[in-house]
Amino acid sequence: MRTYELMYIIRPDLDEEALNGVVDKFDQLITNHGGEVINTNRWGKRRLAYEINDYREGFYILEHFKGNSATEIELERVLKLTDAVLRFLITRKL
Amino acid sequence: MRRERGRRPRKKVCSFCVEKVQDVDYKDVGKLRKFITDRGKILPRRISGNCAKHQREATIAIKRARNIALLPFTSD
Ligand SMILES: [Zn+2]
Repeated sequence: MRTYELMYIIRPDLDEEALNGVVDKFDQLITNHGGEVINTNRWGKRRLAYEINDYREGFYILEHFKGNSATEIELERVLKLTDAVLRFLITRKL
Repeated sequence: MRRERGRRPRKKVCSFCVEKVQDVDYKDVGKLRKFITDRGKILPRRISGNCAKHQREATIAIKRARNIALLPFTSD
């Protein structure tokens, strides 16, 4: 298994319950696809360097997880089709 | 008698090498900002003073930071 870093931005207009729902969904997705969440760090609401879909800010989530390429592919697929996610970045740790 | 003319070029040192940085982090926006212009363009190596290895890594980190909206794209 490799260690990955995932950063993603959630829409700022979600309430706390909806926000928790999104974070939980991705935590579970990692676990259900051969991965293991190491930590999830909520940076909170932050101003975006440029507007995305008319939003000027977003909730930043930084997450580390262990997984394999199947975990990464599935995570990427679902992140892409989740409306609440404005942007994401998956990097592999050395 | 010879007189020294003009300004001597300041010796540029790679700040990542000085700080013994292993891999340049795209999340370190405070540091990465020093290597872009006001308009968001990446500074060339002759100005940034970075070594080739760290300039390459800084460029990748800046591009990642832009994609995740931590840094702006070029604004012209
Ligand atoms: Zn260097």
